[in-house]
Amino acid sequence: MNRYRVALIATGLLLAASLSAESFAIVGATLHPIGGPDIPNGVLIVDGERIRQLGATLALDPAMKRIDATGGHVYPGFIQPHSTLGLIEIGAVRGTVDTTETGTVNANLRAETAFNADSQLLLPAMAGGVLTAHVAATGGVYNGGSALMKLRGWNWQDMTLRSGVGFFLTYPRITKPDSPFSRQSDEDFSKEKDAALRALKETWLAADAYRKARQAAAQGAGPKVEIDSVLEAFTPALSGSVAVFLRAESRPQIAAALDWAKEAKISRLVLVSGPDAAHFAARLARENVAVILDGVLALPTRAWDSYDSVYAAAAQLHAAGVRLAIGDGDDPSNARNLPFHAAMAAAFGLPPEAALRAITLSVAEILGVDSELGSLAPAKRATFFVATGDPLDIRTKIERVWVDGEEIDLKADRQWQLYERYDHRPKPGSYAAHGH
Amino acid sequence: VIRQGSGNHRFAAPLVALVCCGLAGQASGADPSAWADPVPAAPKVLLVRGATIWTSASAGILENSDLLVRDGKIAAIGPALEAPTGAVLIDARGKHVTPGIIDAHSHTAITGNVNESTNIVTAEVRIADVLDAEDINLYRELAGGLTAANVLHGSANAIGGQNAVIKLRWGVPADQLVFKEAPAGIKFALGENPKQSNFQGQQGQGQRPGPRRYPQTRMGIEQAIRERFLAAQDYRRAWEEQRKNPKSSRVPPKRDLQLEALVEILDGKRLVHAHSYRADEILMLLRLADEFGFRVATFQHVLEGYKVADEIAAHGSGASSFSDWWAYKYEVIDGIPYNGTILWRRGVVTTFNSDSDELARRLNLEAAKAVRYGGVPEAEALKFVTINSAKQLGIDSRVGSLEAGKDADFVVWSGHPLSTLSVCEQTWIDGRKYFDRAADLANRAALDEERRQLIEKVRQAKKKKDDDKSKAKPEDRDKEPHPPSSTVSTSGVEGAR
Repeated sequence: MNRYRVALIATGLLLAASLSAESFAIVGATLHPIGGPDIPNGVLIVDGERIRQLGATLALDPAMKRIDATGGHVYPGFIQPHSTLGLIEIGAVRGTVDTTETGTVNANLRAETAFNADSQLLLPAMAGGVLTAHVAATGGVYNGGSALMKLRGWNWQDMTLRSGVGFFLTYPRITKPDSPFSRQSDEDFSKEKDAALRALKETWLAADAYRKARQAAAQGAGPKVEIDSVLEAFTPALSGSVAVFLRAESRPQIAAALDWAKEAKISRLVLVSGPDAAHFAARLARENVAVILDGVLALPTRAWDSYDSVYAAAAQLHAAGVRLAIGDGDDPSNARNLPFHAAMAAAFGLPPEAALRAITLSVAEILGVDSELGSLAPAKRATFFVATGDPLDIRTKIERVWVDGEEIDLKADRQWQLYERYDHRPKPGSYAAHGH
Repeated sequence: VIRQGSGNHRFAAPLVALVCCGLAGQASGADPSAWADPVPAAPKVLLVRGATIWTSASAGILENSDLLVRDGKIAAIGPALEAPTGAVLIDARGKHVTPGIIDAHSHTAITGNVNESTNIVTAEVRIADVLDAEDINLYRELAGGLTAANVLHGSANAIGGQNAVIKLRWGVPADQLVFKEAPAGIKFALGENPKQSNFQGQQGQGQRPGPRRYPQTRMGIEQAIRERFLAAQDYRRAWEEQRKNPKSSRVPPKRDLQLEALVEILDGKRLVHAHSYRADEILMLLRLADEFGFRVATFQHVLEGYKVADEIAAHGSGASSFSDWWAYKYEVIDGIPYNGTILWRRGVVTTFNSDSDELARRLNLEAAKAVRYGGVPEAEALKFVTINSAKQLGIDSRVGSLEAGKDADFVVWSGHPLSTLSVCEQTWIDGRKYFDRAADLANRAALDEERRQLIEKVRQAKKKKDDDKSKAKPEDRDKEPHPPSSTVSTSGVEGAR
């Protein structure tokens, strides 16, 4: 009986493996590998979840399934570099929002554990070519650990490409927001700021001390130290095995954050920021700090900033040699618009190749997953799409999408289904009013 | 003081004021006209040459054509027009020219809050009273090709305040922003906002506690609107009788500004712009309007408009939608980016609006989404932000397309207006150039220098004040009841380059 069951399971696994290991070739399209020259009328061969090979002329096994994409353009899937996709469904419905934990030190949170695999926001994102998302929580000063998620799978575990990609923290605001809606007094703001800064600095030191004490205890060189799940979560960041993602927006905030990161001896730093990051372009390049420019389609920060200051920030960072990814300002329901943030940066001086790279290969590099994603290359994940043209142009349509070698049925998108249904609605009869 | 073009005078102005006050006469060089940019000159005759002209009219898209402007109006469009003597020439070869973009739903240039949110009906309040001609967003929007906007009251009320249609004449006083010939209008709102689902009366995190206001349901919204229109009918009848028998011994009716606005709706003299999302509430207002005998000019947002497109078309309403927003609250869960396409196919005059000072800077790219989602032809898609907006606002005899006789409101783009890689180079209103990217770029260094000098002046003034204070005797200092705080706002200094 038992043996029989094992055999069944084994057969099932084999079947599953052979199904997912299906090989196919995309032919006739222009391949845009990113990080290499375009290949007109190229061939892209996929084995199971991975890309096997791509080139201008490849010998194909006559038995291999071919997908004719003549006239189409193949691009690697876009990667959201900084998102709350999966953690939020409808902003105004609190029960559907899992982005923001209470408290100041939330370093132990793991974003993937709250990722809603069946979120209705995922398919529209994929229909727009966004096939992977770097997801992070937002609450407190120490926000938690981020995760890289593919947008197709059976559950979050299945969809987690990498857990603990980054150690996220939000640098406290240094200046009181100049908002007409703020009812906070200067004193209250100042108190809150001081408390947050203290929490930032003291917790980092405490975590470092904890780490050393635990090490000493493990080596028998010190007394036993009780395990602390929150401080434990700092260890990869302290040791430099995980990058620290520092959210800071205004100029004083960025300046203070960079200074603190230096003082804290953070070796792998990614600044998640807005247009003010461009004011630090030279320093960021010199100190090898990567930047996620989180949203290009945004208003200038100050009334006297030039009207295109946000549009042009990416070009300034790029020109200074800063490693750059472009985000969408965390707009999960419209994650599909990520390429248009990059496009606006391109309209205002960022070379179009760099704009495309800033939402594909550069993101993968900054997240440390460029051996897996970000370009069309042998052994990388077969996560790509076929478009009618340049995907930075809004008029271009994305026609077919694959995630890990599996084609996504874009017609299963509820938005598409509503369109189809109501586009074919018959003309209504006249309305018979029932009087009041 | 440099004023033109850069749009940055709002930085300079407060600092000039600060310096003037702080130094009491020492800043005699400051130019008080720095409070306003001068209105750009209007060339008598202007000829734009060699452009691809998107007319948003029956002429369609004209390649390699010229646009002749005389006294602020379009005089002719066609290939190789002869340049009249003294005409200002613009070489637009390789460039594209479109009508000025018109935003059918905006809250730009409003001083303070856009909502008078106290009552369920606030038809008496007027946006035109609170326009801020110095809102920097006007300039930013000009820089995206926007020339006119429907500035609406917020959506906190079933019947909200009266809107103001403006032209973005950057530099003029507030009353001259108003598009005087535009018909009067008013904001209505249905669904979650007027029933306060996400605001007052809930005690959740991030929600302001407060009293609950009637109504709290879509049924209540219908009744609240109905009740006011019944009252307006009574009010109209009372005044009709009063006018018929002015000598009657009856006490004349008391004037009611709220009901006056509603009577104007009943009389077809005030356009209703109705914020709405769901098909049910859209149908509700259509039937209520039918019953009271007025037409809803536009449904705004109207994200489920695609479900009742035929009903909207039959009533004769326009639809002014977001291109692709959805899922930010429950009532927009069925928002789809194909909404505009379906409405357009079913014969509704359709626009894409911004509802946002940010989005208003790139409405040409919103129009491109009608091409992306459902394949609306490009020239038709551009109409979603030009002539269709003008039709919805009742200003299409003046603006919205490039045709002889219309106002010379147009945009020169570096390339195809629906391409993400194109940039707005010039924006003209009434034959005046209100935005010029080249001038903006050229002025930046001088502005930075001016800003630096002003900040330095303020710093010196503060230093002198501090020095004077430290020279004073300690007992004098003790007498000072409130030690003055810094004269410079932190945000001002830290932001300076």
